[in-house]
Amino acid sequence: MNHDRTKRLLPAYADRQTGPVRRFFLGRHIARCPSCLAELEVIQAMRSALRTNLPVHRAPPALAMRIASALPREAPPPASRRSFRFGFTGAAMAGSLAGVALTLAVTRATPPDAMVADVVADHVRSMMADHLTDIPTSDQHTVKPWLSARLDLSPVVKDFVAEGYPLVGGRLDYVDGHRAAAIVYRRDKHVINLFAFLSGDATDAAPRQESRDGFNVVRWRAGGLTYVAVSDVEASQLLAFVRLVENG
Amino acid sequence: MGTCAGVTNLTKEFSSAGTTTASHGMQQLATDPRNRRFELLAMPHLDAAFGLARWLTGNTADAEDVVQDAYLRAFRYLDTFRGDNFRVWLLTIVRNSFLDWLKDTRSGQRLFQPAPADLDWTDPNPSPEAMLLDRVDSETLGILMAQLPAEYREILILREIEDLSYKDIATVTGIPAGTVMSRLSRARLALRKAWINNEKRP
Repeated sequence: MNHDRTKRLLPAYADRQTGPVRRFFLGRHIARCPSCLAELEVIQAMRSALRTNLPVHRAPPALAMRIASALPREAPPPASRRSFRFGFTGAAMAGSLAGVALTLAVTRATPPDAMVADVVADHVRSMMADHLTDIPTSDQHTVKPWLSARLDLSPVVKDFVAEGYPLVGGRLDYVDGHRAAAIVYRRDKHVINLFAFLSGDATDAAPRQESRDGFNVVRWRAGGLTYVAVSDVEASQLLAFVRLVENG
Repeated sequence: MGTCAGVTNLTKEFSSAGTTTASHGMQQLATDPRNRRFELLAMPHLDAAFGLARWLTGNTADAEDVVQDAYLRAFRYLDTFRGDNFRVWLLTIVRNSFLDWLKDTRSGQRLFQPAPADLDWTDPNPSPEAMLLDRVDSETLGILMAQLPAEYREILILREIEDLSYKDIATVTGIPAGTVMSRLSRARLALRKAWINNEKRP
């Protein structure tokens, strides 16, 4: 390969954008040509400078959220979800007693899967977002008033560190149309998100455990609040945690 | 746990790209297939999209606007994506959104002027100074880079940060494949000259 041609193709050589045969001939010339070699080294120095030293601009955390909320939601929500929403929050909007009765009946007939899907999604997001807590503290006397001041509810917040479930902090979240408190605990290296939001139904309900997408979910109602605990810890450990909260 | 493969993969997709998604405001992970497909395809490239937009616009706020516009367009035209490299497709849209943003803003118009023709593009002899280029500090490099014409900035970012092939660079920028190498050479030379001038200053 002659000198001029090699010199012209040096960038492609440095960028490894030539085929193997051409690369072989270019390499052979460069090895014998101090001027080409020197220029190749300059290109390589430039490349390595940019790759290692150029300031990195990462997307700000809020951007993903902003985009996601700007995306059109094309599909209408499934019927079960809609009925659950109405049953839970908008009974007053139903207009007539018959309407209310029908809605509640539908609500009972179709388990609120949407809510479970939501809390699992919130749980996953809380861990991948580096945004586990708004208020990172193990002090229950800080977390509880912080949440109460921002939400019109006062969930159980207690540090169960002695029992192996230390309190990590609190966060405001949004579960299936409800502003919710998210109280964050750890079990060894696992995260437990405990969500609490106002129940539409004032009656207490015993804990019910299910699993979804590999996560265990336990939900119950107490004191006018719906609680949902989500984690990837074993179901027995999550239930033990739930008993602590119930008795807390 | 056995059954958590789906969610784990999803988590990996998002976190591997460094995407951070706070929980507030987002009411749910997408439930309908199209939104879900889009989030899986596009969200992992948010840093790449933002990085390009940030280098092109020169500031965070405008870069965010450009990226959001690009993502909404990508969502709208999702069904037209036929290739095998979603990042290349997305970066092409980011660049188009940037060009439209330029047209709409007066301040932007001076940003994408063609490279000055009066510079001497013949390569200076490799000087000892140029050999020290890889020791330039990050801040200086950022400033020098920001002063280059946008068409040079973009090709350097696409090549060195996004690691795109000449062919993919041609796709994103819309310039003929045969001219990618020469433009890249000019961009490197321009950066090198800027660096040498910077060093000569007292």
